[in-house]
Amino acid sequence: MKISRRDSGRMEALIGSILAVGVVGSVLFLAAGLFWQRRATGAIHLNHALRGTNLFGFWSGCAQAVAGGRWSPELLVNLGIGVLLLTPYVRVAASAVYFAFFERNAKYAGFTAFVLGVLTYSLFLR
Amino acid sequence: MGHSFGLFFAVSCVAGFVGAMAGMGGGIVLIPALTWLHVGIKQAIAISMVSVIATSSGSAAAYVRDRLTNLKVGMFLEMFTILGALAGARVTVAANPRWLFLLFGLVLLASWATLFARRDEIWRPAAHPDNLSRWLELEGSYPEKSGDVSYQATRAGWGGALMFGAGLVAGLLGIGAGALKVLIHDLVMGLPPKVSTTTSNLIIGVTALAGASVYLSQGLVDPGLAAAVIPGILAGAFSGTRVLVRLANRSVRRFFLVVLAVLGVEMIVRGLRGAG
Repeated sequence: MKISRRDSGRMEALIGSILAVGVVGSVLFLAAGLFWQRRATGAIHLNHALRGTNLFGFWSGCAQAVAGGRWSPELLVNLGIGVLLLTPYVRVAASAVYFAFFERNAKYAGFTAFVLGVLTYSLFLR
Repeated sequence: MGHSFGLFFAVSCVAGFVGAMAGMGGGIVLIPALTWLHVGIKQAIAISMVSVIATSSGSAAAYVRDRLTNLKVGMFLEMFTILGALAGARVTVAANPRWLFLLFGLVLLASWATLFARRDEIWRPAAHPDNLSRWLELEGSYPEKSGDVSYQATRAGWGGALMFGAGLVAGLLGIGAGALKVLIHDLVMGLPPKVSTTTSNLIIGVTALAGASVYLSQGLVDPGLAAAVIPGILAGAFSGTRVLVRLANRSVRRFFLVVLAVLGVEMIVRGLRGAG
């Protein structure tokens, strides 16, 4: 199935926006964490370890801390890393949805679904 | 490990700057630099893999909007690179660091040889796309000052198989492996240089995520280090791109050839001496 320049333009705008928002969001969280650390301790030494976990475990830890109001410089830095890691994942998920439901291109919906499936598997690795 | 934020930030800025000047991610410079600062090579590879997501996503966002990236070529080839990256990262986790130094040095020298051999090459469009590439709808066009330039990719099957190898190298060594990906796009699939580079950028983010997930699961991603490296490499890459547009292609290529050769030899020497 051929796609029109207008459809392709919409897809490009969607993907470009997801990537830009992801990178800017990540940097803002990291900068906020570092700024807070500097204000609190007078130095920007972050010394917190991250034990082996998968991305969903990592996000679940962040979500619990946010829900419990346990805000800290370390949490903001973790959120920055988490947002960055989710950016390509969200981009692939959005592409799969776009190909499947807007363009109705079964071939590319299948390809992106395959990539999304493998990424999802990899993000559950322990 | 406690980190001197300023030092790691500055080193990452330089890595991002040099990487952008060469039209590659910063990982190829960042990893040797981090190991000089006594970061273990596996931790350096893991942190580089995460920072590669930042640099590739940042530049891909602009290239996609400018219609330079071929999304279908990218989405087809991603199927192969993510499988390669997962396999490569698994090997690194189990590998002896000495072999990683040697392999990293060899990949740097191979990239050097490739760039050197192709320093005066000119792109020619593929004459006859094969059936698979036609079925995959791998044609496109991109804007130039003189008007839109049309192209059609070919040999998609070979491109996919070789991209598994590029993903393997990326996952194994924590780099984007942009040089290899661009080479496959150019020489095997017949894509124009601008489309090759920008499409490679899009693929790198997803490939890096697959590799980074393995390193995250092994506890090799150090958040303190990431907090210094990610903003640093982004700032360096941003300024490198600005300087790049003002420089002649020949000077940029010469500069990068010297950097690749020095780093490649240095990593091999450290591998032979048994650095860990």
